[in-house]
Amino acid sequence: VGLLILRRLVATIPVLLLVTAGVFALIHLTPGDPIDAMMAESVDDSVKRELRRDLGLDRPLYLQYATWMGRLLQGDLGRSIRNREPVIENVGRRIKPSLQLAGLAMAISLLVATPIGILSAARRNSTLDRFGTSFALFGICMPNFLIALLLIFLFGVTLRWLPISGYVDPMEELWDGLRSLALPAITLGLALAAVITRTLRSSMLEALSEDYIRTARAKGLSEGAVIRAHALKNALIPVVTVLGLQLGTLIGGAVITEYVFALPGVGRLVVDAVFARDYPLVQGVVLLIAVGFILSNLMVDLLYGWIDPRIRHR
Amino acid sequence: MAATQPDATHSESRRDFLRLAALASALAPGVAGRAWAQETPKKGGTLRVGFYIEAATMDPHLSGSKIDRQVYHNIYEPLVVLDANLGIKPGLAESWQQPDPKTLVFKLRRGVKFHDGTDFNAEAVKWNFNRMKTEPKSVRKGETASIDTVDVVDAYTVRLNLKRPDAALLATLTDRAGMMVSPKTAQERGAELERNAKGAGTGPFVFVEWVKDDRLIIRRNDAYWNKQGGPYLEQIRYRPIPDDTVKLQSLQAGEIHVMDYVQPRDVAAVKADKNVVVLDVPSLADFAYQLNHTKPPFDNKALRQAVAYSLDLEQIVKGVWLNVGVPANGPIPPTSWAYDRSIPFIKRDLAKVKAKLAEGGKAGGFAFTMTTNNIPINVQEAEVIQAQLAEAGITMKIKLVDSGTLISDGNGKNFEMISYQWSGRPDPDGNTYQFYKTTAGTSLNWSGISNPQIDALLDKSREVSSQAERKKLFSQLVRILQDELPMIFIVHPIEPKAFSPRVQGYDPIPDGMMRFKDVWLK
Repeated sequence: VGLLILRRLVATIPVLLLVTAGVFALIHLTPGDPIDAMMAESVDDSVKRELRRDLGLDRPLYLQYATWMGRLLQGDLGRSIRNREPVIENVGRRIKPSLQLAGLAMAISLLVATPIGILSAARRNSTLDRFGTSFALFGICMPNFLIALLLIFLFGVTLRWLPISGYVDPMEELWDGLRSLALPAITLGLALAAVITRTLRSSMLEALSEDYIRTARAKGLSEGAVIRAHALKNALIPVVTVLGLQLGTLIGGAVITEYVFALPGVGRLVVDAVFARDYPLVQGVVLLIAVGFILSNLMVDLLYGWIDPRIRHR
Repeated sequence: MAATQPDATHSESRRDFLRLAALASALAPGVAGRAWAQETPKKGGTLRVGFYIEAATMDPHLSGSKIDRQVYHNIYEPLVVLDANLGIKPGLAESWQQPDPKTLVFKLRRGVKFHDGTDFNAEAVKWNFNRMKTEPKSVRKGETASIDTVDVVDAYTVRLNLKRPDAALLATLTDRAGMMVSPKTAQERGAELERNAKGAGTGPFVFVEWVKDDRLIIRRNDAYWNKQGGPYLEQIRYRPIPDDTVKLQSLQAGEIHVMDYVQPRDVAAVKADKNVVVLDVPSLADFAYQLNHTKPPFDNKALRQAVAYSLDLEQIVKGVWLNVGVPANGPIPPTSWAYDRSIPFIKRDLAKVKAKLAEGGKAGGFAFTMTTNNIPINVQEAEVIQAQLAEAGITMKIKLVDSGTLISDGNGKNFEMISYQWSGRPDPDGNTYQFYKTTAGTSLNWSGISNPQIDALLDKSREVSSQAERKKLFSQLVRILQDELPMIFIVHPIEPKAFSPRVQGYDPIPDGMMRFKDVWLK
C-alpha cells in the first residue's frame, strides 16, 4: 500500500504543474487588474504605478510565473494583494468551516441516502421505491440556492429554530456551532443524498440480479442478510467513487451555499479573490483545492482495495 | 437648504414634487431622532449590524473601500463633520478660518485623547497629513494634493498652506482624509494597524477585535470627550452577510438589528413588515453612463444627444428603481446645496431623436455596445434602455462584465457607453471635477471629454469660496453637461436602510455612513 501511495503521489506532480500553469494563465488572461479593483474610487496614477511595481505586476508574465513557481517550490504561496496577508493564512482561516460543512453534509447525505437507496432497490417498483426515486429526482433538480432559501424561510424566519446565517466554530461551542452549520449542511446534504440514492439504488439493483445473490437466497439466507452481506458491499464501489469526487467539490466548491449562509469558507474566499483579481490568492487557493481533490481521489482508490480485495492484487 | 425644500410654486409634475417632498422630509434634521427621542436613552446592549461585504483595512489612510468607512466613522473622527443637510460642522477641530484662499487655520478641540491615552493636538494633525501625503501605500494622496505644508502654530492651532485655492477641501476632510490616527499607535504597530486599530482613534467607540470574515467588534469609549448624548451601546458587532435576501431575513428574524442597504426590489415588502423600520436615506450618488468621446459613434455630439433624447428616465426610475430614487438632471444629487432644481432632466423626445440622427449623419439609426455590471438591477436597466433606444431606431448591444473588467475597460477607454455608479461626495466638486476636467493618462474622466469652458468652470469652482457663487458655477456646468453629454445621467438613488424597531436615535446623513454615537437599544 505504501508503494501504491508513493507511486500515486509522484504521478500527481505533472497534474499539479499543469494546474499551476492553467490557473496562472486563466486569471491573468481575465480582463481587469487587482490595483484597479482595489482602488476603484481613488485615482492617483503614481500610487497605482508604485503599487504595481511593488507587487511585480509590471513585469512580463513569464517572469511573474517563474517568480511564483520559484517561491512555490520553497513552500511559499505568496501574499494576498488585497489584505497583504500570506495566502496560507487566508486559507488556514477558511478551511475549517469548509471541512466541517463538508463532513456534516456527507454524514447527513449518507444517513438519508443509504436506507432510501437500499430500500428502493430491495422493494423495486413499490410505493417506497417511487418515493425514493422521486426524492432523488427532486434533490437533483432543485438548485442549491433555492433549497437554501426555502430552508431559511421555514426554519429561520417562520419557526425560528435555527440561525439563518453566520458561523460558530463547533470545536469551541459545540451546540451553537452545530446549529450554525445545520441549515447549510442540510442544503448540501440533501443534494448529495439525491445523487447517492440514485447511484446506490442502481448499483444495488445490478448487484441483486447477480447469480451469487440467487445462490445466497437458495442457501436460505434471510433477505436482510443477503442485502447486507452480499449485495451492499458489492454495490459500494460506484457510491465510494461518487463520494470521493463530491468531497473534493464540497471543500472547494460549496460557493453558493457558503455565500447564502455567509459562511467564511474556501469557496467564498476564491470567488471574492477572483472578483478582486487577487492573483496570488486565486492561484494559491486553486492549487490547494486541486491538492485536496487529488488526495480525496487517492483515498477513494485505497478504499476500493479495502472494499474489493481483487483490486488490491491486480 | 434651498435644494432640499420642496417648492410648490415650481412647475414640476405632482409626482416630482412628492418625490422631492419625501426626500426633504427624510432629510429634515432629526426627523428620525425626534420621532425616536421621546424616551430616555438606555445604556448597554450589543448592536448587531449586517454588511454586504467584509471590511478591507482598519487604516483610514490606506482604505479604498466604501465599507471600511462605515466602521471608521465610529472609531475615528475627522477634523470636521457633516450634518444632515451636508453642512460642515466642528469635529476634532472646534473652529476654522480662511484668512486667504490658500490658507486654512484650524483651532483644535482641547482635552481629546486617542484611545491609547496620548493627546490629540496640532503635532498629531501635522503628523497625520504628512503620513497621508508621503506614506507609500497611502491612497489619500489625491485628496490631500492641494495641501502644500502644515504648520503647527501652537499646541492646538494648525495651519494648512495650500498650493492652490481648494473650496472643496473642507468637505473632503469630513471623511477619511480628515480622520486622525494616533501617531504613537501607528508608528508602533506599523502594517499591523491594518488589522488591529486598538488605540488608534478618538471616536465614541474603541476597536476590540476583528476576526476576518466573521465579526468586527467595537466597544463603548467611556472616556469619550463629548459628554452630550451617547455613546450608549455597550458593543457593536459587524458581520458580513453577502446575500441580500438572507441579510433581510436575518433582520426580520432578529439576528441582526441594522442592515446597511435594502435593494429597491425589497423596499415595498420591508415597509409592510411591522418588525422592521425602514429609513429612506437620500444619497450623494450619481448613476450614469459614460459615453466615449474619443471614438465613433460617440465622438459625434448629435449621436450622443440622440441617445439622451431616446431615454425616458421617469420610466426607468419607476420600472427599474421602483421609485427608490429620482431622475437625474446631472451629476449633482438633490441632497446637495448645489443642486439646481430649475434644470429639468432630459425628457424623451422622439422627434428630436430623428433630427439629431439626421444631423449626425445616421438618419437610418446606428448601433453601439453598452458595457455594464452583471448584477440584476443593472441588467434590468440595460434591457429597458435597449428597448427604449430600439423604439427610437437605435440598436444597442449589451456587454455584461464583472466590476474588475468594467474598471479596466473604463480606464483603458475600451468602450462605447459604459455604466458608472458613483457613490458621491459631500462637495459637488467630488461628483464633477475628476469626471469632466481634461486629464492626460487614466482618471475617472473615462469619456475623454476635453472642453475649455468646462475646465474653466471647474477650476473656478475651486477658487471661489462663496457657496452661492459656486452654486451658480455648478448650474452653468450642469447645463453644458446636458448639451455636451460626457455622460447620460439616469438616477440619484435613495439608499434605504432597515432597522429593528429596538434601534433608537439614529440620525441619517446623506453620505450613507452609519454613526452610532447616539443610537441605543430599546
